[in-house]
Amino acid sequence: MAAAATSRLESLRNRGAAFGGAPFVGLILVAVAAGLVVGSLRSATFAQLTVQGLALGAVYGILALALVLVYRATRVINFAQGELAMATTYVAYQLIQWGLSYWEAFFATLAIALVLGTVLELALIRPVLHRSAIAAVIVTVGLFVLIDGIVNWIWGGDFKSMPSPFGTKIYHVGGVSIARLYVGMFVVVIIAVLLVWALFRFTKVGLGMRAAALRPAEAAFVGVRVEWMLAIGWGLAALLGAVAGLMTEPSQFLLEPTLMQPILVYAFAAAVLGGLESPAGAVIGGLAIGVALNLVVQYVPAITSELQTPFAFAVILAVLLIKPTGLFGHREVRRV
Amino acid sequence: MKARIPALVSLVTVAAVLSILPFVLGDYNISLAAQVGIFFIAVLGLDILTGYTGQISIGHGAFMAIGGYTTAVMSRDHDTNLVLTMLVAFAICFVVGLVVGLPALRLSGVYLALVTFALAVSVPLLPLKWSSYLGGRDGVQASHEVSNLWLYGVAWAASAILFVLAWLILRGRAGRAFRAVRDSEIAAVASGIELPVYKTLAFGISAAYAGVAGSLFVLANNGFAAPDEFGIVLSLQILIGAAVAGLGSLWGVLAGAAFVGLLPSISSSVPVIGSAHGRDVVFGAAVILVMLLLPGGFASLVAWLRRFGRA
Amino acid sequence: MAVNRRKLVALLAALLATAAAAGTAAASHTGTPGVTKKQVVIGGTFPFTGPAALYATIPAAEAAYYAYVNAKGGVHGRKIKDITLDDQYDPSQTPSKTKQLVEQDHVFAIVGSLGTAPVLSTWKYLNNRKIPQVLVATGDAYWGQCVHKALKLCGGKAKPWTMGWQPDYPGEAKVYAKYILKNQPGAKIGVLYQNDSYGKNYLNGLKTGLGKHKNQIVDAESYNLGDSAQVIAAHEVAMRTHGADTFVIFATPQATIYALIDRTVIGWSALTLVNNVSANRVFELAAGQNGADLNGIISSEYTASPTTQANLKGMKLAKSIIDATGNQKLQQSLAEGDGNIIYGLASAWTFVDALKHAGKHLTRPGLMKALRNLNESGKNKNPFIYPGMTVKTSKTRTFPMEQLKLIRWSGGKTGDWHAFGSIYNNIR
Repeated sequence: MAAAATSRLESLRNRGAAFGGAPFVGLILVAVAAGLVVGSLRSATFAQLTVQGLALGAVYGILALALVLVYRATRVINFAQGELAMATTYVAYQLIQWGLSYWEAFFATLAIALVLGTVLELALIRPVLHRSAIAAVIVTVGLFVLIDGIVNWIWGGDFKSMPSPFGTKIYHVGGVSIARLYVGMFVVVIIAVLLVWALFRFTKVGLGMRAAALRPAEAAFVGVRVEWMLAIGWGLAALLGAVAGLMTEPSQFLLEPTLMQPILVYAFAAAVLGGLESPAGAVIGGLAIGVALNLVVQYVPAITSELQTPFAFAVILAVLLIKPTGLFGHREVRRV
Repeated sequence: MKARIPALVSLVTVAAVLSILPFVLGDYNISLAAQVGIFFIAVLGLDILTGYTGQISIGHGAFMAIGGYTTAVMSRDHDTNLVLTMLVAFAICFVVGLVVGLPALRLSGVYLALVTFALAVSVPLLPLKWSSYLGGRDGVQASHEVSNLWLYGVAWAASAILFVLAWLILRGRAGRAFRAVRDSEIAAVASGIELPVYKTLAFGISAAYAGVAGSLFVLANNGFAAPDEFGIVLSLQILIGAAVAGLGSLWGVLAGAAFVGLLPSISSSVPVIGSAHGRDVVFGAAVILVMLLLPGGFASLVAWLRRFGRA
Repeated sequence: MAVNRRKLVALLAALLATAAAAGTAAASHTGTPGVTKKQVVIGGTFPFTGPAALYATIPAAEAAYYAYVNAKGGVHGRKIKDITLDDQYDPSQTPSKTKQLVEQDHVFAIVGSLGTAPVLSTWKYLNNRKIPQVLVATGDAYWGQCVHKALKLCGGKAKPWTMGWQPDYPGEAKVYAKYILKNQPGAKIGVLYQNDSYGKNYLNGLKTGLGKHKNQIVDAESYNLGDSAQVIAAHEVAMRTHGADTFVIFATPQATIYALIDRTVIGWSALTLVNNVSANRVFELAAGQNGADLNGIISSEYTASPTTQANLKGMKLAKSIIDATGNQKLQQSLAEGDGNIIYGLASAWTFVDALKHAGKHLTRPGLMKALRNLNESGKNKNPFIYPGMTVKTSKTRTFPMEQLKLIRWSGGKTGDWHAFGSIYNNIR
């Protein structure tokens, strides 16, 4: 029995992150990427908007990835994910005020976020989890409001500014101006995503976490501490959220308590587009939304900026109605 | 017969207290009591959907927005009688609810939650796009203003009517079907319940309730409707109210409505934290505590008290 | 939940009857609300948090001025108590906050409430109740145009209980139009404006000012409050694509800061004009810190500058009043040249001036009469406004201020605004 369970866990090890079984979607992605390159070569405006869209999209993607990790671990949609990211950004702000450099504060904040996420799961989510998913969702809604209140209480609602991590340099490539800021955001996010992927793919903790999420009974049988693994899943999500917050702040130049609310909306959209279960789907979904919204507003006169959000959701609803589990999701078997 | 007595006692008590309140409260507190009535309607509506049919909605603020704008625009353009606008809001939101209920047939669980969330985020943006008719960020001002007392009377009269309506629906065939859908969709279909009809119907009814609440909500805001009034926080408030309420108890719904309707005003003078943000801290902490300590919401507390009283 | 249906219907009827009967219970007040021998209570709504929180130093400065006046014994023996509530510049919150001030705190008047849309949302409510809504911190033309006349834009009814203070926005936009026509005759103009009455009135003012040249506006793009820096950048990219070489910003501070940074990020070097409310050294410094190229940006001013005119008597007074608060953040803000602090002091000065002239027996109509007959010149000059300008009202003059001075930024990231040219009079 133990052997069987172990071998099933081994099979997890070999399961590709997302692309297996979706060649069609892969083909579309390649086509889209080619389209973006051609468009960028032909028009400076197009290129400008694409670069900016990729940078923002990366932030949507990493927050969406946080949502996906939480969902995979506990079947909960964490409405407080964005506020948590905002709060940890304030922690970084405070650390900088106390004299740390930006990057020292950056890594210290990631550690704090990891602990914070884990503790929140153990203290607030775990006790209601067995009851119903709705109960846990409502706790996250409460957390949303609570975190907002606490941040406003400690730091106030006025604007703060943090040193710019990437400076204000602007590169000129042909007719296109590219802020180093956008390149920096994109690179940091991609590095973070790759590290998390490597953690899941190559480490024992990562395997344990995947096992605990997908086959909890068997994982427990072979000695994986399932409860801890799920809690660490929340911690990792909070860490990714902190990266999202710390990369959003420089992109908006100012820090204030509603920083992450619009980002969370697009992160939800990205996560759903990718199928909620698929980490790679979330990141690709984020990039797609970032670029698409930037381009659509510029080139489709009927979609003005106030219609960005409704438009994004209309597209996603259409995707869901055709493929109810998102682009990269697997169909869940209904149990009686 | 025995079970009916406590329920009847509850109703009489609530009605009596509500009748006396306007005579003992000051003008400003009457407006707060009216606010509770407005949330009573919205929470009751969500309870029908979430509590009885098992479908979550994080988007009821969107229906309130539709109801509220219906009242404000009709009053601005045609000077329509305000109570009539509420009936129109009820009808429009019923239809919109049915339409929103359609994707619910194909989606379930978290996907449905996210679709309703999308609705809550998107609907308030529409007045910005069609600002010449819907006022944009400047909002729409109804041509009539109402007194706090008018608001109190109408809100609680509407609450009473809608409560009776809900009771009539839920005790009948539709109510049985709703519960069957909640407990097991597959079993419900197997026993001959037309799933699409009842799932969309529940959405329609629930949305219609939210529409009436939205009408009153705008009137409570001096007849002024603006996009930010119906932000995501409003949707979350209604959800929190329903969670605090628990399932199927008049006292529960009252407690849930009072919780979301009163807490923001009462807790605006929180010691230490200060008035500006104490509200959010208390609000958030209270929600989490209720969920942790009182799993079935106030309804379960009431049931427990009853059992305790009998023993 | 099982209850006899007939009893329920009876209950319902009883409830409805009670609701109707309760309609007779109405509270009545004696005397003027908020006024006692020792005190006058006023209130206002301001954005302490949210997308317009950069204005939060205005109410802080007003509070500082009232404290200064109170320390000297108040006005006619009355101390001024100012209750300020946070509405986040959100017109959906202003009505309930204002209701709280009027019905719970029983204020004498609403003074200085900030923002066009927020003030519009309580305009009717306060006028219906004959409660003064005065010195509102918005420069829209409504507050001056609707005093006597029941124009359509006034909601079909005159609003004599509402009064503005600062120069009106359409008039300000006309000044920019004049400047552009004179100094950049063939300009192709791109306009970024806030998608509400505030932004639209500015845009209309610019069009009126340009007159037959209004087709020189090649692209007018609206943004929504709370839009991200990237949305603002996309608007600028669109304007540049339309060939605009002159960029006019009619925005609130956060969006202005974004627009100034993004302009540099996308490498667009258009002649740039920003509206007065966003021309505050503190905001421009924030933009500069994030890479914005600021030299040559143009705007306008009607209050004195705490940095370039620090030697004026009024600016020294301002410093001593702010120092007395002990609020270090506010002191630092003033030292950096936060013009909003001067704005708050100047506006509070006018309110106190009106209170003095309203006399010992303070009533709401009395306050309005005093405000409609202001004359802050000569010995009674408002020390905080720009030298050479006056605050004045009369039966025919319903806009207290009708003068502006153009200013231009120089000195790069640590620079400042410098006035140039002569004062524009009768800007309306």
